[in-house]
Amino acid sequence: MAAEAKLSHTAAMILQAISAGYVYGFSIMEMTGLPSGTVYPAMRRLERDDLIRSQWEKQSIADAEQRPPRKYYRLTTTGTAILDASRKRYPLLERLISTEEANSR
Amino acid sequence: MKPPADRAFRALQNSMLRVASLLVPGPRRSEWRREWQSELWHVRHSVCGCGAFSWPAQREITAFCLGSLKDALCLRQEIPHTREPAPRISGAPAQCVLRLCALLAVSLIASRLLPNVRGESDFTRYHVNPGLILIQTSSSTENFAPTISLALYRDWKGTRQRYFDEFAFYRNVHETASLPSRRLRGWTVTHASLNIFTLLGMDLPVEPATLASDSDLPVVILSDQLWRRDFASDPDVAGSVVRIGNQPARVAGVIPRGAWRLPGEPDAWLLESESSLAAHTSPAAPGYLIAHLSPLGQAFMGRGACVPINMRNAEDDNLDIFGVSFAGRLQDPRETFGFALLLALLALPAVTSVTLGESNYSSHRPSRKRTMIRWVFLAAKFLLVASIAYFASLDLAWWNSSNYSPLAEVGQFAWSFSICLFGFRWALSDQRQRCPVCLRRVSHPAQVGIASRTFLGWNGIEMMCVGGHTLLHVPSLPTSWFGGQRWLYLDSSWEFLFADSGTLCC
Repeated sequence: MAAEAKLSHTAAMILQAISAGYVYGFSIMEMTGLPSGTVYPAMRRLERDDLIRSQWEKQSIADAEQRPPRKYYRLTTTGTAILDASRKRYPLLERLISTEEANSR
Repeated sequence: MKPPADRAFRALQNSMLRVASLLVPGPRRSEWRREWQSELWHVRHSVCGCGAFSWPAQREITAFCLGSLKDALCLRQEIPHTREPAPRISGAPAQCVLRLCALLAVSLIASRLLPNVRGESDFTRYHVNPGLILIQTSSSTENFAPTISLALYRDWKGTRQRYFDEFAFYRNVHETASLPSRRLRGWTVTHASLNIFTLLGMDLPVEPATLASDSDLPVVILSDQLWRRDFASDPDVAGSVVRIGNQPARVAGVIPRGAWRLPGEPDAWLLESESSLAAHTSPAAPGYLIAHLSPLGQAFMGRGACVPINMRNAEDDNLDIFGVSFAGRLQDPRETFGFALLLALLALPAVTSVTLGESNYSSHRPSRKRTMIRWVFLAAKFLLVASIAYFASLDLAWWNSSNYSPLAEVGQFAWSFSICLFGFRWALSDQRQRCPVCLRRVSHPAQVGIASRTFLGWNGIEMMCVGGHTLLHVPSLPTSWFGGQRWLYLDSSWEFLFADSGTLCC
């Protein structure tokens, strides 16, 4: 799998963060500690390679909470498969960003 | 109320996002900006939750906004991968037409910038009466000489004529002129009868009020060159008084360059009445006599260039004089070009084959539309070559001739003929090497076989269209079974070999 071989640790971290429930840019930045100049371009590439997919939040939800709508990201089937392969390559990835931590927030 | 520093930081951060968005490709810009604006709101809300201004918080938000530049640049770098490759122009028909248009523009601009050429090409604007002849003692139609005396002119003008209905007389004299600025200049002045320009039928840009002035001063008309040289192109020169020899004269106007086609290259024309001419000119002084043929005279003269005229002078002596047509001097340069163009077209089959190598040995043929485009392209090349030939021949022949010159006229004819002939030859040979489908020039020539080593096998050069439409076979030795070039049309199974087969440049 060529995509698996090319996936960097940073990209794997971002995929893991999205998988763990950090589904918008700023939360991924906070979780991974990566700057905005790294996170957003990486997400563009991941979306271009069809590993993640974005979707705008409904306006009604944002209006109810009196804030602008956010753009949420989620893993695609390919992205999930690639992330599984990356977890084997980077064993500490799951410990670095655990799903439980995200669910507890 | 937010503190000014907070407002300044907000403006800075918004500006950074706005500037960065300019780097994002247009179709994705609005969504990109919307996402970053939304994220910025959440960052502000998270970092400055209490609403109080703090430098570390603003630094963090600004650092977040700086990341937008990197994001925008990353998106911009993806443009070359998504943009359609620009069509290659090398060998394309558009390139050929552009080059010809550039040549035409250069020759056209040169013809408008070179004053002598402009005068010659503008000659058609000045109408000259037909039926004019020059009367002289020589039968030469090329070397006109002042041979008729003023006395003979006055004698003819005073008697009834059968073959002529009007005469005009002029003679060229080199004189010293005193300008209004009191400067002295040497001019070649044409002393002419008052009717010279009306006889010629020239529509001069001279104010009639100046000519009809009841002033006693004779009228002088300046040449364009003199006006520029000695009067510094003064637009108010009309009405000023100059002194020519001992005679004051009033300037009436300026004759455009190229308008005067009669013998001599004068700097100024001094229009004088009969009495003034007689007073300032010796009766025996030779000059040029222009006559307008009556209907009977025109029938007698026919289309001949020179006719002898039986004449007797006051002493009843026979005079050997001739009426010489100077129609050649009044010839439109377009007529000269038209004749050269006709000759070039007639001579074309002698210098190249006029066929386009249409024969092919495959069942596939280009569509009717493609065939029509091919013919239109050939016609456009011929038209552009002819236009270039017209302007370039004018430039080359007349750039150094300040007045009418038979040599320049021959030069214009020779240049027109040569450029047309070899230009058309090039147009045909170029067309023969253009793919009938996409009109690009075939390339990558490959020698197949050697004539000295093959007996019945085919030998020649194969060239191919870079679009993958055709192969061109040109035999080395034309034979009865393979006399000329042939096109082989390739079907779609060849397309995988050619990257830009879909890029047609026609």
